[in-house]
Amino acid sequence: MIEVEHLTKRYGKTVAVDDLTFRVTPGRITGFLGPNGAGKTTTLKAILALVRPTSGTTRVLGKHYRDLDEPTRKVGAVLETSRYHPGRSGRNHLRVLAAQAGIPRARVEEVLELVAMSRDAKRRVGGYSLGMRQRLGLAAALLGDPELLILDEPANGLDPAGIRWLRDLLRSLSSRGRTILVSSHVLAEVEQIADEVVIIHRGRFVTQSTTAELAARAAAGVRVRSPQADRLRDLLTKAGMNVVVMDGGALGVSDGTPERVGELAAANGIVLHELAAEKATLEEAFLELTGGETTT
Amino acid sequence: MRLLYAEALKVRTAPRTLIGLVLGLVALAALGAGSTASGVHRSPLGEENTVWDVLTVATTAVIFALILGILIVTWEYRHGTVTQTFLATPQRERVMTAKYGISGATGAVLGGLSVLVVVVTMLFWVSFNLTSAQWQLIGRIIFAAALWGILGAGLGALLQSQVGAIVTTFVWFLVAEPLIGVRFDHFADYLPGGALDRLTARGPVEGIQEGPSGAAYGLWAAALIAVAYSVGFAVLGAASALWRDVS
Repeated sequence: MIEVEHLTKRYGKTVAVDDLTFRVTPGRITGFLGPNGAGKTTTLKAILALVRPTSGTTRVLGKHYRDLDEPTRKVGAVLETSRYHPGRSGRNHLRVLAAQAGIPRARVEEVLELVAMSRDAKRRVGGYSLGMRQRLGLAAALLGDPELLILDEPANGLDPAGIRWLRDLLRSLSSRGRTILVSSHVLAEVEQIADEVVIIHRGRFVTQSTTAELAARAAAGVRVRSPQADRLRDLLTKAGMNVVVMDGGALGVSDGTPERVGELAAANGIVLHELAAEKATLEEAFLELTGGETTT
Repeated sequence: MRLLYAEALKVRTAPRTLIGLVLGLVALAALGAGSTASGVHRSPLGEENTVWDVLTVATTAVIFALILGILIVTWEYRHGTVTQTFLATPQRERVMTAKYGISGATGAVLGGLSVLVVVVTMLFWVSFNLTSAQWQLIGRIIFAAALWGILGAGLGALLQSQVGAIVTTFVWFLVAEPLIGVRFDHFADYLPGGALDRLTARGPVEGIQEGPSGAAYGLWAAALIAVAYSVGFAVLGAASALWRDVS
């Protein structure tokens, strides 16, 4: 579906993307993750032939984007930089794009309906909120009813309701067999919908796996609180577990299960006020993989 | 064809800019023609000469055509719509060709409009019949406006910056060329402004020497030089659009 092979892009001395290789599987939602400045947008732009790679190749549906026949009908893209002429109305913006791609005008009304923008379509884009602009961008991407959608940080500027709406829309498109590549610097935005994730950092490939695998990889931990915290800590450390003191005096235990911690405490007559399995979040796995610092 | 239509739609759906340019042109042309024809600057050399003077006012359209050409390309960069344009048509040379087509066409329309305004304005003060030489000047003005529209689009693609392209234009035509003209008289005739002056030069009136004296070349050469400039800028602009990354 999308093939990126040894893609490198340099801007002067800065290396934005460094020998990046990955593939996007058809029919799935793939999250494209990395911290800000990781090279996500540059990679997407190279895939879409907006940026000329320094070296390496990109292919969409087996061809270079430039060689696609009727690209609007095959690939829909919303880039962070998708912007509008402020004097044009939302409807006219879409009409221009439809005209360029030879798409009938009736389809403009359909996509406006789809992104719930019919009511505001007559207004000048200059007066739109960020959320409305994002919706209009999505409408533009959906004009040609493409089989592949490439979305760069589509949740930026959306309020929680908007993010939920976006998630539902992407899910429904995916259930109808569309392939979606969606970039984000916030894992939480895509972990609920992505089947697979590709993670990059400083322009380099970090990992590609299913979302479930990534979650499993994140080390699980135990949170335990006790009035005899110091004694408990010594015991757990002696038992080979890694213990840190967290905010409020609770202990964070890695390499251990709640069962083992509980048993050890009971055997030594230590009172526990709290014992809980800390659910490992993808966020932590993500931060760990990209070398960020966890907040807990 | 589809791209031409899309480009035309882009111009049509940006009404404020378009209305501003058209109103500006109409006002300037009407004012210029009115003041010339009503006698403030009325030539003592008879009606025919006044008609020539008034028709020359229509040349104002050329600068408006140039600005519209610049806008047709640079507003895409300024407002970032160029991303979506190139996504829909990744063969950028086709996009640029359509933009040059529309810039030329809108330039010609502005030229025609300007001629219409001056002729209608003149009717209030002068009764006249246009001679064939004067009809030819009208054709040359429209042709020049079309060429300068294309030149503007090429310059816009080369510089990408709207303000940059417009400022460059004004500095060139109002400062640089006149200065070069002072220093190197004949060389300046071959610069864009010089070629434009020749291309839109008024015709002679019986008994008087023709206006711009001692020009280095004739009308056909002027047309050729003007075409060369507009094609040259168009090619440079297209090459620049093709090569540069869309940021």
